Amino acid sequence: MSDSPTTSVGRRASGLPIRLEGVTKRYPGQDRPAVDAVSLEIPAGQTVMFVGPSGCGKTTLLKMLNRLIEPTGGKIFLGDEDVTSQDPDRLRRRIGYVIQAGGLFPHMTVAANVALVPRMLGWDKRRVADRTEELLDLVGLDPATYRDRYPRALSGGQQQRVGVARALAADPPVLLMDEPFGAVDPITRVRLQDELLRIQDELGKTIVCVTHDFDEAVKLGDRIVVFDVGARVVQYDTPEAILADPAEDYVADFVGAGATLKQLTLTRVEDVELRPVTTATVGADSAAVVAAARAAGDDFVVVLDGRGRPISWPTVAELSRTTTVPATVDQRLPVVGLRSTLNDALDTMLAASQGGVVVTGRRGGLSGVLTVESVMAAIQRTRAAVGG
Amino acid sequence: MTATAGRPPADADPATLAAAEDERDTAAPRQVRGGWRALAVQPLLVTLGVGAYLLWRATAELSDTEARQLGATTLWAAIREHLALTLAAAVLVLLIAVPLGVGLTRRPLRRLSPLVLGVANTGQAAPAIGLFVLLATWLGFGFWTTVVALVLYAALPVLRNTMVGIEQVDPRLVEAGRGMGMSTLAVLFRVELPLAVPVMLAGVRTALVLLVGTATLATFINGGGLGVLINTGITLSLNSLLVSGAVLVALLALAVDWLGRVVEHVARPKGL
Amino acid sequence: MWDYVVDRRGQIAYQALQHVSLVVQCVLLGTVIAMAVAMAVYRSPRATALANGVSAVGLTIPAFALLGILLAPFGFGITPAVIAVTFYAALPVLRNAVVGLAGVDRSLVESARGMGMSRPATLLRVEIPLAWPVILAGVRTSTQMVMGIAAIAAYVLGPGLGGFIFTGLSRLGGANALNSALTGTIAVVLLALVLDLLLVLAGRLTTPRGIRV
Repeated sequence: MSDSPTTSVGRRASGLPIRLEGVTKRYPGQDRPAVDAVSLEIPAGQTVMFVGPSGCGKTTLLKMLNRLIEPTGGKIFLGDEDVTSQDPDRLRRRIGYVIQAGGLFPHMTVAANVALVPRMLGWDKRRVADRTEELLDLVGLDPATYRDRYPRALSGGQQQRVGVARALAADPPVLLMDEPFGAVDPITRVRLQDELLRIQDELGKTIVCVTHDFDEAVKLGDRIVVFDVGARVVQYDTPEAILADPAEDYVADFVGAGATLKQLTLTRVEDVELRPVTTATVGADSAAVVAAARAAGDDFVVVLDGRGRPISWPTVAELSRTTTVPATVDQRLPVVGLRSTLNDALDTMLAASQGGVVVTGRRGGLSGVLTVESVMAAIQRTRAAVGG
Repeated sequence: MTATAGRPPADADPATLAAAEDERDTAAPRQVRGGWRALAVQPLLVTLGVGAYLLWRATAELSDTEARQLGATTLWAAIREHLALTLAAAVLVLLIAVPLGVGLTRRPLRRLSPLVLGVANTGQAAPAIGLFVLLATWLGFGFWTTVVALVLYAALPVLRNTMVGIEQVDPRLVEAGRGMGMSTLAVLFRVELPLAVPVMLAGVRTALVLLVGTATLATFINGGGLGVLINTGITLSLNSLLVSGAVLVALLALAVDWLGRVVEHVARPKGL
Repeated sequence: MWDYVVDRRGQIAYQALQHVSLVVQCVLLGTVIAMAVAMAVYRSPRATALANGVSAVGLTIPAFALLGILLAPFGFGITPAVIAVTFYAALPVLRNAVVGLAGVDRSLVESARGMGMSRPATLLRVEIPLAWPVILAGVRTSTQMVMGIAAIAAYVLGPGLGGFIFTGLSRLGGANALNSALTGTIAVVLLALVLDLLLVLAGRLTTPRGIRV
């Protein structure tokens, strides 16, 4: 259970490693440095989360990586290159930067926002347009619908998606994120986190992400850095290791009580046994489907659209009142991805007031159904493991 | 576990499906129609005013002096003079106040901005007529003295709104621009100034209206314009001249204000 | 310059007093009128739009033009001066009062009504106090603008410091022309600043403690 596949075995890494050597930021008129001689290695293609109390210097450290804040001492390497003395504008065009609420320019269309860095890099029009389409697609926005919209016509979650697309535009090896999902509602946040995990699986960038939410750090991070004041690195390890063995009381406090429950954010849906379920495609003969479901002992059926994606889950009784399987889409169908955490799955169930969720895998195809009973069983096992 | 009858998505692409899910708010209803309708009232008012004036002019019984002063050529010359004063001053105001306003928001000069604004605000308390007379004692009478006085008087709204417009731009957007590798100059021209345009244009419109009004005082220092009619009317007790000048200036101010509003409406960056 | 001022200190003081008294009385009158209009219109969107239109259009009319128009029916003297100055004093207050009253949180008004306050009591004890800082900002704008307009009013034989400026103008080139114009202008600036300071002070004293910034 503790061996989550998040620790990136075999993920294709297109990112570059980042190395910090004694990086320091001292503000005039303050006796203590905001960031005090931090040395850190961030491996290529991994997601590293910065957590710590507010004012601990984690954001300052992040902004020194793309030199929005100039370090007063120390060196920063991107790959083997010392970037401390490079032209900051050129450096930043090679580093994606995502901020809270996306930071989209309200007077530019979605496409113009995404195209900014490629155009600064002098790409030709065709290539910029193609890249914009590709990226909007990647972050789950239909290019034809959203390309020419202005940011104010997008929801918070959509703006954040465009923000990610814009940061990835010139295919930078490194992505910096400053509390990227802090401004969206909890349900959208879970969805955006899932999306980021999927994108990262595909791209393998080096991601450094500041968050104040430890659960988010556990969910997204391959590794977590816990900071104390002055950006002192208290612990730098995998989420599992930090949860199981906090380095200091300080970390234990920060991680918070109820480590068992935290395990819920560590366990992915794919780690739990999913229940197979009777499926039906739109337009199939209802009677046959009902018979199959009864034979399998299922009291409901998951209806799939033409591409194998779940769209509703009528009960056998409801289905038996129809002649063919209807094409109606249940907007409230609770769905989670394989990479979602058990915590997310529970939240989704609670939000939909349902005893289970439909689980989807690659391309939105059906993987099975997760019931509240199997989540409970997983909690029991974890508790037994931690307690014993 | 009931299947609620929902509306099937128009486009069942996985991309749209995912994004449609977190679409909480749709595009805000466009206010363009209402905006244009509001803009239609003012020219109507001006047209009515001009019509009424022409009607009066055609039917009024005037003495020779009055008729000469209110002849088409004389009137037209006065209006052109008035507009020339306004335009010359407006161009100079833009050339001076906008770069100054931008400069005062840049890091090296930012510390000076409270000082400059303080001086400008105090200066604004000076009565326009006093400024005209003082400049005349220094530069003599005439067109260009008037222009200088007008520039001094109308620069503040443009200066202040340029600074406010740039300062109200969300600092996170500036940081986002810098963070993606735009130079400070690129951020200024592609992010800060476009986003400041609505506020800046409001300042320009205020300045224009102020200029049209203040240019009436040009008559006192031989600067010409429609103020001459009013002044002549007052000194010679010719109400027809006096009212003609006053009405025409008011109509001109309304027309200029309307033009400013139209420009604001058109030049406002889409998406705001 | 100094001698000029000392020689005429009596006259300067008198005209300054006249100027301030004209401005203060007209601003008071204008504020009362503007508040009455604002209270009458702020709950109807259509009337609000009309009031905003009137204040916007009114402010575009040049002061000298309005003075000229008023001369025709009223002749020279204090009447056209008072009417014009009051007119310009009322407009910024009207604009701000409408904005301020409309900006009061609806839920606060509702809770006041909900606890049994009458309509006038709600207006007097909830809405106006909350809108007060915005209204007062309008009064400050008014006062500063009207100080300059009152100077022009001297041309139609209204009282005040504008007289010095016009005397300077009529004697241009002669002795004391500059002194006269300078005296008028500087005195107006100083008085405008003093009045503004007093209004800020009045604002501190009359703004409810909870919404002071």
